[in-house]
Amino acid sequence: MPSLTLLGQAVVSGLLAGGIYGLLALGLSLSWGLLRLVNLAHFALALLGAYLTYQLGTAWLVPPWLATLLIVPAFFALGLGLHAVFAYFRVTEFTSLLVTFGVAVILESAIQWFWTADYRRYETAYATASLRVGPFFVPTLELLAGLTAAALALVTWAWLRFTYIGKALRACAEDPAMAVAFGVNRRAQAFLLSGVSAAYAGVAGGFIALIATLAPAQIWAWVGVVFAVVIIGGLANPLGALLAGLLIGVSESVTMAVVTPAWAPLVSFSVLILILVLRPDRM
Amino acid sequence: MISPRGLGGRGGLAVLLALVVVTGATAAPSGPPVRIGGTLALTGPLAPTALLHKIAGEIYVDELNKANGLLGRPVEWVLLDDQSKPDVTRSLYEKLITVDKVDLLMGPYATSGILAAMGVAQRYQKMLPHHSYGMPHLAKYEMHFPTAAFGPEPNVTVPARIYDALAATSNPPKSVAIVTSKFPSAQFQSNGAREVAEKRGLKVALYLEYEFGTRDFGAIAARIKDARPDFLWVGALGLDGNQVIEAMKKLDYMPPRQFHLFPAPGPLALAPDGKLALSHTFFEAHPPMLSNTGAARLVPLFHDRAAKAGVPYVNVDTQAAGSFAAWQVLEAAITATKSLDDKAMAQWLKKNPVDTILGRLRFDGSNNYGDDLSKLKQVQDGKWVVVWPREFAAPGARLLPP
Amino acid sequence: MSGAGGRVATGLVLAAAALAGLAMLGLPAFYESFLYLIFSWIALATSWSLLSGYAGYFSFGHGAFFGAGMYTTATLTTGLGAPFLATLPVAGAVAALLAAGIGAVVFRVRRLRGELFGLLTLAVGFVLATIVLNTRIDGGPGVYLSAVPLPRLLASPTGTLYLLGLGLAAATLGAAYGIAHSRLGLGLFAIHDDEDAAEGKGVPTFAYKLLAFALSAGLAGVAGGIHAMYVSYVTVGETFSITVPLYVVLMSVLGGARHWLGPAVGATLITASLYAFTGGQQAVLGRAVVALALVVVILVLPEGVVPAGLARWRRWRPRPVPVALASPALVAPPRADAVLACAEVWRAFGGIQALRGVSLRVEPGEIVGLVGPNGSGKTTLINVISGDYAADRGRVTLGAETLTGRPAHDIAGLGVARTYQIPRPFARLTALDNVAVAATFGAAWLTPAEARADARGWLEFTGLGRRAAALPHELNLHERKFLELARALAGRPRVILLDEVLSGLNPAEIASAIRLIQDIRARGVAVLFVEHLIRAVLELCDRVVVLNEGAVIASGSPREAMRAERVVEVYLGKAHVVA
Repeated sequence: MPSLTLLGQAVVSGLLAGGIYGLLALGLSLSWGLLRLVNLAHFALALLGAYLTYQLGTAWLVPPWLATLLIVPAFFALGLGLHAVFAYFRVTEFTSLLVTFGVAVILESAIQWFWTADYRRYETAYATASLRVGPFFVPTLELLAGLTAAALALVTWAWLRFTYIGKALRACAEDPAMAVAFGVNRRAQAFLLSGVSAAYAGVAGGFIALIATLAPAQIWAWVGVVFAVVIIGGLANPLGALLAGLLIGVSESVTMAVVTPAWAPLVSFSVLILILVLRPDRM
Repeated sequence: MISPRGLGGRGGLAVLLALVVVTGATAAPSGPPVRIGGTLALTGPLAPTALLHKIAGEIYVDELNKANGLLGRPVEWVLLDDQSKPDVTRSLYEKLITVDKVDLLMGPYATSGILAAMGVAQRYQKMLPHHSYGMPHLAKYEMHFPTAAFGPEPNVTVPARIYDALAATSNPPKSVAIVTSKFPSAQFQSNGAREVAEKRGLKVALYLEYEFGTRDFGAIAARIKDARPDFLWVGALGLDGNQVIEAMKKLDYMPPRQFHLFPAPGPLALAPDGKLALSHTFFEAHPPMLSNTGAARLVPLFHDRAAKAGVPYVNVDTQAAGSFAAWQVLEAAITATKSLDDKAMAQWLKKNPVDTILGRLRFDGSNNYGDDLSKLKQVQDGKWVVVWPREFAAPGARLLPP
Repeated sequence: MSGAGGRVATGLVLAAAALAGLAMLGLPAFYESFLYLIFSWIALATSWSLLSGYAGYFSFGHGAFFGAGMYTTATLTTGLGAPFLATLPVAGAVAALLAAGIGAVVFRVRRLRGELFGLLTLAVGFVLATIVLNTRIDGGPGVYLSAVPLPRLLASPTGTLYLLGLGLAAATLGAAYGIAHSRLGLGLFAIHDDEDAAEGKGVPTFAYKLLAFALSAGLAGVAGGIHAMYVSYVTVGETFSITVPLYVVLMSVLGGARHWLGPAVGATLITASLYAFTGGQQAVLGRAVVALALVVVILVLPEGVVPAGLARWRRWRPRPVPVALASPALVAPPRADAVLACAEVWRAFGGIQALRGVSLRVEPGEIVGLVGPNGSGKTTLINVISGDYAADRGRVTLGAETLTGRPAHDIAGLGVARTYQIPRPFARLTALDNVAVAATFGAAWLTPAEARADARGWLEFTGLGRRAAALPHELNLHERKFLELARALAGRPRVILLDEVLSGLNPAEIASAIRLIQDIRARGVAVLFVEHLIRAVLELCDRVVVLNEGAVIASGSPREAMRAERVVEVYLGKAHVVA
């Protein structure tokens, strides 16, 4: 029977891993819920952000926070550009999967072209630093990522709930025709949202660069679990995405602490299935 | 036709011979190319390491063509991308044989792909040299030739070698924790590590298997820390090893000694916390192995090419060297039999060892395996150096204790 | 099968025979394995679309069924020494049972549609992969099938697999075509557009979804079984990767998920393109080019390649419009016992009591008006009668049959039809097919071919004859309302529940609607007529029932009921006379 300290540490570790899931899930949840577009390219964008952070950091010694400040507006613009294509061709939810898959593969190929397929690790002095909280260790980078995820989730939630734009976005998602009848500028909203989503991907990418080792095929490593987080959390529900990420992270981590770690996905996804079947009304 | 008598007897003959030798030595290979077909994971999750094999192969073929080619003919490597998928690998090898009609085969990267290719080679009775295969007991084709020289029972011999090396230090470990990915070849050898440890009376404080593709190692690191082993065996493949180390460091813990099975060499050597980590290798680019056949020539070439290709870690390590060795085996068999006949070459290889960059390889044991040429290397001052067996250690290097 | 079906079947058989013959003539092995891969993906993508394309239940777990089949064959051949061919049906059965089990639980839960269903199936894939990885089924080292003998259907092993793959692909395509043109297919398409409306028209939605899911999974399982022999070394990592679940979706979307041939075309295009750039030097660039091509194709042809191609083709050669049969027998002869009776029906939603002990009767050939202010429970009562809602207490009977407690599609089959206040046509079916659904699944239970002919008659009856090929979004409100009516009638109902069918119509349209309803009554159908337009109520109804706040406050002849004091009060308010 594992000690309480071990369990506690596993919970801490799981919460932080979940924070990163939540961070990745945020942009995807927004675009899927509010734009009705399933954006596989979100993962590719995040990894591109990671590689750019790595490149700026290793080639030009740009500190990560500055790199993120540079990347975020660039990605916002990229999101606008992507959406221009979607809007022009009137891409629907159904076809968005294929289109964004293609974009993701193009991005993956571009990444491999510039950075080769070989592993890249952005070594920093503080990569393994952690805070001591009682008997537990809280790795600083992951903590920062988790806090960022929480902050972005809260800000997004508040934005959607309290501002005019936020309400307009939600109205558009629910009933586009009516929203337009009420004077909501649907086109502008959609562009804004796409840009924000892409910007979030850039932020997630910055943390991925600091925490994980990079290879082009890593794009696909996150798809399953982040999809699960997005759907469990409820589409366009930023706080839900965060909570779902935490839930999955913790359940995986605790499983790994208690039994053979290879069982972890079984537990996290079984929990998902049970939640879905027994009481998804809160979604 | 100049008759020797017409040129003044023996002297004329000597001149003639000298002429033939000189022109023969500097003649560029000519005639129809010898086409050697193979695939590599140029895209997909296995691409990072397959890239090293691509560079190694290209270097070798270029060097062949700069010299005499094979049998005096230029060499062409017909390389296809199997996208890290064994089913694509199988059909591409069929394409190479039945459509492109290549003369000979070279194996792909990694165990699953090699098994797929082996099936095809078997059906067409073509010999298959390969460089990155980790499950010897499954390789039952009589014309396959592995240069990943694990010997027929790596799950026994590799851990034994490691424990031997550790036992020879002043403070041998008494307990071991084993954490392994469930990637087939890694799990296979890590399981062996457990059995051998138990046989030797080492306490197995922890044995964990994690899914290949695990993202978060926090809980696993916590369990290792809890177990407080003297020695940590990480059955890692690629990225995992680094992630385990980093996860442990975040818990302010580092086991006294650690061994990584199949890590990505660059990241681990360069990791600030990879100090004194041990790993498995067949070759490192320093004496005495630098004097192995071909090493002196190939190592600097790899350095250059890798740098040009933008690869972060440019030293020849076990993967690239394995590739060179596979090509050397192929070349040796062709040269010795003066033919491109698979059966003749295979028969020759079974009877004759080949001197390669990895040392002397022989293929006459069970499942065509020879000796286990595994060596232990350690990160010292940001570089990998071989420390065991002693006769292969870098000059003056030894297994540094924690 | 009809002419077109016969042509397709012949075409399929000929193509299959030609391909089989090709193999026997001795293709180079590469072409056999390349084509095998195409056949395998055709089977996978087409089987996926049986549920997900036709019924719209997007599954992200197709890989789980494929993997289940792969490991079934791997385990049986290596563990039990079973002959390879014999394991294939078992592989299919295991996968089908898995799907049936999942469906039995999931399809009962109304909220698990759309993305939630997708997530559930994705999760099933992960769960299965983990179980296989950690138990003796695989346990990690993988399963090696090299020692398993492959029956020699053709000279080479690759040829044998080619033939098996061909057979499976042909069978799957045949199944897809057959289903698309059968009652099952029509039901699935209806479920895709509006599951509740489909249930209301008599489509047994639960049973059909389960059947489609199981069949889809079973075919994927067989594909997996064959593939196990193809790769000969089965590992969890490769079997349960994201490739299969993702690619079947992409292939189906590219080719057109609603068309039986669509996924096959998509599968062929995508698989072939994967080989277009396998040359070593351009591998990375090639991949990007292929992806770009895919993006361009789907942007330009969002419905998919096959539907776009068909649309082109039809512009060249318009299909002949089917000729209507003689005016259909509109209703069954009236039966004196087909009385609709509600007895003390109660229904609450949370804290709101929507129906309080409502009782009423509608005789055959009678129009009973159901009136009352907004929120009085009229639509709720209709929903209870039709089976969309359950009654908390009370009974609804039709003749000798009890309706309460039965699923909606059963009730529709017994002869209860309803229209919706806001029309709910099946958005992607033509007007003709909309009505055909009702004719197929209603009390008449016609075959799809008969139903289409029948539907023409109903469209003529309601004046929509010229709009038979139009899609609902091309119809105006009046036409959509009449389409609702035609749909309701096509089910050969004994009782029709009309929910505000006149709202939104102009006077001329109202007049023609009234004539229609009188015609319906004349044929012996019982009509429950919910309406706000008092003029129409007075003109049409034999009797009137007035509801207020869920309770009946008056009933009787129209003039009597409307003049009852309580009714006037409810509509116009109480008179406050200042003395």
